[in-house]
Amino acid sequence: MPNSDHYVIIGNGPAGNAAAFTLRENDPDAAITIISHENICFYSKPRLVKYLAGKVDEDALAVKTMDEYRRRHIRLRLGQTVERIDPDSQSLHLAHMETVHYTDLVIASGARERLLPSMKPYADCLTFVTEFNDTTGLRKKIADSTRFFIFGGDLVAFKFLKMLTDMGKQVTLLLYPKAFWPHRLTKDMQDAIVKNLAPTNADILADDDLDTIVPEDRGGYWVTTKHGVRTQADLVFSFNGLIPDVDFARGCGLEIDHGILVDETMRTSLDNIFACGSCAQIYNPDINTYTTSIGWPNAQAQGKVAGLNLLGEHHKVRPAGRKYFDLEGVKIKTVWWEDLEKDEEA
Amino acid sequence: MKKNGLYSKEEKIFQDKNKLYRAHSVKQIAYSTDPRDFGQVAKSIPCQEACPAKTNIPGYIRCINEKRYGRAYELNRGANIMPGVLGRICSRPCETACRHGAPDNGVSVGICHLKRACADLKSPMHRIIEGLYAPTGKSVAVVGSGPAGLAAAHDLAILGHRAVVFETMEKPGGMLMYGIPEFRLPRDLLMTEINNILRLGVELKTSQAVGTHITLETLTEEFDAVVVAAGCTKPRLLGVEGEDLENVYNGLDFMKAVNASNRGQTPIINETNRQSNRGLSPIKNVAVIGGGFTAVDCARSAIRLGAEEVALYIRKTMDDMRIDETEKHEARFEGIGVESLVQPARILGENGRVSGIAFVRTRIEKTGTPPFKKSVPIAGSEFVVPCDSVIAALGQAPDVHDVSDVLTGLDKDTPATGMKGVFAAGDFVTGSTDVISAIAGGRRTALAVDLYLTAMERKKTVVRLESHATTDRPRSYDFIDRVPMNTIAMDQRLADHTNEVETGFDPDQALEESQRCYLCNLKYEIDPLRCIYCSACIDVAPKDCIKMVETIPVNADGTYGRYAETGQWDKVVSITIDNEACIRCGQCYAVCPMDCISVTKTELIQMDMDE
Repeated sequence: MPNSDHYVIIGNGPAGNAAAFTLRENDPDAAITIISHENICFYSKPRLVKYLAGKVDEDALAVKTMDEYRRRHIRLRLGQTVERIDPDSQSLHLAHMETVHYTDLVIASGARERLLPSMKPYADCLTFVTEFNDTTGLRKKIADSTRFFIFGGDLVAFKFLKMLTDMGKQVTLLLYPKAFWPHRLTKDMQDAIVKNLAPTNADILADDDLDTIVPEDRGGYWVTTKHGVRTQADLVFSFNGLIPDVDFARGCGLEIDHGILVDETMRTSLDNIFACGSCAQIYNPDINTYTTSIGWPNAQAQGKVAGLNLLGEHHKVRPAGRKYFDLEGVKIKTVWWEDLEKDEEA
Repeated sequence: MKKNGLYSKEEKIFQDKNKLYRAHSVKQIAYSTDPRDFGQVAKSIPCQEACPAKTNIPGYIRCINEKRYGRAYELNRGANIMPGVLGRICSRPCETACRHGAPDNGVSVGICHLKRACADLKSPMHRIIEGLYAPTGKSVAVVGSGPAGLAAAHDLAILGHRAVVFETMEKPGGMLMYGIPEFRLPRDLLMTEINNILRLGVELKTSQAVGTHITLETLTEEFDAVVVAAGCTKPRLLGVEGEDLENVYNGLDFMKAVNASNRGQTPIINETNRQSNRGLSPIKNVAVIGGGFTAVDCARSAIRLGAEEVALYIRKTMDDMRIDETEKHEARFEGIGVESLVQPARILGENGRVSGIAFVRTRIEKTGTPPFKKSVPIAGSEFVVPCDSVIAALGQAPDVHDVSDVLTGLDKDTPATGMKGVFAAGDFVTGSTDVISAIAGGRRTALAVDLYLTAMERKKTVVRLESHATTDRPRSYDFIDRVPMNTIAMDQRLADHTNEVETGFDPDQALEESQRCYLCNLKYEIDPLRCIYCSACIDVAPKDCIKMVETIPVNADGTYGRYAETGQWDKVVSITIDNEACIRCGQCYAVCPMDCISVTKTELIQMDMDE
């Protein structure tokens, strides 16, 4: 009898791909589809900064090629956005008005930029770098621009700042203590970071906040802070951490807090739906808290567990242990982020 | 639109056409009590259906679009009595139901902001309109001057009864006056709308607590009927160790203390700042327990009192918070944190004062039939948060014994009680809800009292159907972004705890937001006798809203059921517009070669029984 199972995975990152390839390894006949709103195969997000700097090209970002999906008969639907889940009819509604049916669903939609409430009125003035789609046309803009303003202070912000200063650009960073979300930098940590960034020659502003961003008619912006610092910038970037990308899943009956709530088997509150990676929120008993943004290796482990359990097994994901993370010379203890690029370089 | 001029040319052509249609169209009006029409209105106009007071939302938004702010205000007042108040603090069930916010359709219309706009922008010469009935000679005592009591008194006065309101506190308004902070609801505006009710001849007796100064039994002797709308005043307790420590407040008492102080004064929350001549911030690090409007009001008020760290602690998820997205945003903007999936285990103290609070993590479990969600503590997950104040804003319950020991038979499904001539309304009978539900409850009770006193049903609801020669909006309006509410800066918010945060729309913003409304009160129909089944309408429809059907079943209650669609032409009996999916873009209307699509304006209206 032909296998009529259709496993659909939303998201084409480490969790989604781990789930898809685990499913294929254990179920050679089922139809497997990955749906991603991005227009590129599975790629390395940590390398995006180098890509923007022009140091590597698009091919160097690839983690998997289209051929690998073809060989494993995994259908990859790129550039397609899921707008709604209908668990009753086990179907997904896509933005282009197509309906895709599934027998089992894995949500691995990852995370998106965190826009601070104080910056909401200026969202149109801000540029984000959280995924490949954001970089369309940005490489040339960066090359053509000279003055940059950066809000935030998460991991990517510092890499981005260093990239720009290495390129000889003029950069102003307004350091937010809450940017390394969900951790809050203490005054000592903040001072240490400011000191350690001094060699970059960037202007670092701390203990200040955004007042206004005013676009100029001829392009560019005037950024004014609460303390009256007024800076002209060709591009204004915001790096304030990530939040789970789960808006499309709201209202369908899934339990959602910051992310989609899952148990240690990656099961959600609805039958036939699993979630894994940065979009999933899971309780970690080792550190007695819920976590969402869980980093690449943890995402892969969760994707694998989701794939196996979807096929009827009963695996539990191992709680991620704490690691020290180096943020510009300041040690921060997290269970999720790892400087993969630094590991690669080592 | 005017601001950036994006659609000005198209808009101009559309408006010219509109005028032309109006000049040449002949209005045909019918009134219906057919269940199919009631069913159609309920399904097609989701915002109105979701509003407990059944406010004619598309109707007043259209009036704003035509800059008839006074008419828009009256359309509101006819249903919800206090548009200026509700435009600021309503819980907005209409916006949750708005079709513009449905998946694929974008973001819901700012219905409440528009309600406020008509109150703000109406002429200073605006006259309120009330259709008064002749005096009946009957009198009704209303216990409580909160939203339910005021609504009941308003309607009873209109129906010709003498209404006397007994209020325990010094000022009228109940939760509106004492529970909601002034930075969300200015008191001069509140008093204006309360005075609009009192001007109907409603008598107000403040500082008169029924149950203390006067008994319910006395009221039943002195009046022909009594409406008890005493609200919910008994705070729900945390039920944990340490709740009796100093600096543990219940949410309502905290808000009462904040609201008791006037502009320029620091509220007196506790002895510390009383003794320091009000200058000292009474709280620094505050844990607020709860996820409703009162909890957020407490947290935002604490920030204005000078607290440096304020966080909300909720037992369930962020999605379960009983507040709208605007409130969530404002709380985040003001620096208030939210810790979800936690519940308090005990409050820690030193020298009789709060020093911290211990929480346990929770997980969500579904249980019971039908399944309902509950939070379950996770064993061994306790952790401690240092703080100097705890505000328990878990809501309130009605305190029946506070009013009377003999009052029985309270039933949330009926206004009558176990005592003859005594009725109940609002949160007192339903438990804690929201302002719009309380107003709707008060109005429902007034009708029940009127029936009791006069033995006559004096009003009926009908569907008014009016032929409409135009769609009233071009397709380009579907792509307008929601207009954000204007707010004051953070330093202004902190300058005085009474400074209103939201400052309302200017006329251009109100116009732009009004253009976003789909006008779901316009019903689109295809005349099957003239349709040539060319499918042109299906081809241009941006949604799956024009359907080939083989039957349209009728439900047991007489309303239409869901269309039975078919793809087989030999079974198609009609091409039909599904008004539940239709976004009123007007594309089908414009393209139909046979001019067989009609537009009908549908409204729920109240008529006198003898009309």
